Amino acid sequence: MNLEAQTAVLGYVIYGGAAGLIIIGLYAMVMKRHLIRVLLGLSLLEAGVNLSLVAAGFRPDAVAPIFSGNAVAGLTMVDPVPQALILTAIVIGVGVLALALAMTIKVQRAYDTLDTRQLAEYLAVEQMANTKSSIEPADTGEPAASGSTS
Amino acid sequence: MNPVLPIVIPMLAALLLPMAQRAHAIAGRWFGIAATAVNVLIAIGLWTSVSNQGPLTESVGGFIAPLGIMLRADLFAVLFVFAVSAMALLLWPRGENDRVREETLMLLLISGGCGMALSADLFNLYVFYELVAVASYGLITSRASGASYAAALRFLILSAAGSALALLGIAMVYSATGTLNLVQLAQLAPESLHGPLGMTAFTLMLLGFGVKAELFPLNTWVPEVYTAASARVSAYLAGIVSKLALIVVLRLVMTAYAHTDATSLLLVVGMITALSGELAALRATDLRRILSYSSIGQLGLAAMAFSIPGSLGVMAGTAVMLHHLVVKPALFLLAEQWQSSSDSSSMARLTGLASRSPWSAALFLLLALSLIGIPPLPGFWAKYLLISALLTEASVWQVLATGLVIVVTVVKTVYFMGIAQRLYQRDAEESSRLQWQSEVGLQQPFTPVAVLGGLVVLSVLLAAPLGDTLERLSTQTVEFSGVPAMRSASIVTSEGALP
Repeated sequence: MNLEAQTAVLGYVIYGGAAGLIIIGLYAMVMKRHLIRVLLGLSLLEAGVNLSLVAAGFRPDAVAPIFSGNAVAGLTMVDPVPQALILTAIVIGVGVLALALAMTIKVQRAYDTLDTRQLAEYLAVEQMANTKSSIEPADTGEPAASGSTS
Repeated sequence: MNPVLPIVIPMLAALLLPMAQRAHAIAGRWFGIAATAVNVLIAIGLWTSVSNQGPLTESVGGFIAPLGIMLRADLFAVLFVFAVSAMALLLWPRGENDRVREETLMLLLISGGCGMALSADLFNLYVFYELVAVASYGLITSRASGASYAAALRFLILSAAGSALALLGIAMVYSATGTLNLVQLAQLAPESLHGPLGMTAFTLMLLGFGVKAELFPLNTWVPEVYTAASARVSAYLAGIVSKLALIVVLRLVMTAYAHTDATSLLLVVGMITALSGELAALRATDLRRILSYSSIGQLGLAAMAFSIPGSLGVMAGTAVMLHHLVVKPALFLLAEQWQSSSDSSSMARLTGLASRSPWSAALFLLLALSLIGIPPLPGFWAKYLLISALLTEASVWQVLATGLVIVVTVVKTVYFMGIAQRLYQRDAEESSRLQWQSEVGLQQPFTPVAVLGGLVVLSVLLAAPLGDTLERLSTQTVEFSGVPAMRSASIVTSEGALP
């Protein structure tokens, strides 16, 4: 196989893989209700994005971008900038994921559930309850209050 | 004055704060505040030097772009450095649970915020955006209640997904142009980004940064977070952090995506955001929810303004953002004070509050009138600028958007006047039943509200010089793309190979 065909095939594989990871990740984040699955989806999504970023700088005929003293003239290197970028992105992703898992533990302790939709309902109900509890005494307490003043 | 200072000082202070606290309790108490105050002074220094000598650029670490990262301080950036730091000082966390932790997060938030304002590199913007995001998740949970954890986690998931999409957009921009420097992007964009790939990248970045900018459709977190977090945090998030995310969008529209379909996309997204936010506010029954939804509406207006090409749009958008930045935090703080004195922010409890607490009610009325846009309050000038900028281009969309601004204003008037009516209802029986502390607003935490209210009044008196400053600022922002080409513009080509 000549170089161009090789490049084309590799390009399909890498970009196809990245697109697949992104789609699976997004699917999990949107359709799944279990928090851990959602976070797994996030992790897949990030992996896909990182892969597409590193693919942007990839060339099949190039070598690793390391300056060693005796660099061979005429040898091309892959673009080092995306590699530096994804290193940062991976670190950020790990940090955010760890934070999310820590929060998941707190949420599980507070509500005893890991279902995102249920959590949303709890949040809405809690806020409604806040409003309710303030309206209800106002409504039901009115006769009592007026009775005490009269 | 080096533009790297406002990023470095709070970050360093954040790392040193726990040590300072351990070494000396009083030193630890004032360390963070002092660092933030220094940041405010630096912002003022930067402002004077930028307004005298024009924008400053700084290649961090001596590496020139595109290998290095460039910071660029124009008036717009410096304004936000000032706003980020000064507002943090005003809304300094009170340390409900763990003072050191909250202050550390606040300092990190300031550092990331200044970085977002100053950065001229797309990836660097993304990194600072993540720093701001992580710091704000932490601050939201500072109440340590179950609701705040759940709200923060749901926000985190949405925001992380958005960030990943934004990063994908950035990757596309990089593969199309071979650079992430905004100045170079502006030069390369007409050939390489004004196509379907570039538009996809913009859509992805708009989705990603739109999460924090409270733009439709990824703004479902807004009411949850702003009601679950403490008022100071909500005030800071609504006042500052959302604007920072919108700045990124503005920079993109001003540089890489000037004169493209991207502006129409932004206009449409802004219109939907404004309309949906205000309509949701109309239906909400809880004061803090109303304020959250109205914040979405205001950011939609700002996004609409930024979609107008040229300095008029920047000027209008900056006016809308600045006005919202001053008014909304004050309203959130007022809502919390009324809430804490009556255990609830629900509307029923607000009835007849004016007779008990005339000052805070009057202040609320002033701020609400300004948000609606009653002359001569600053909100009127912001809306006036927005409408006149929209009308310079008489396309169908612009005319539609102008009509929408007016509709949104009417909706805003309806719900804010509903609240005001409640406040000033003279119902002796009801107000005696609600056991208000006398003049709830005039306790010590009233200071930030009073300062912000004072700013609103002051801006009425200083309308003319403020307008001039805004005009200078917006012309400078538009000139971002007009910076002369850098000498190293061709080190990394789009093939991505180094010789």
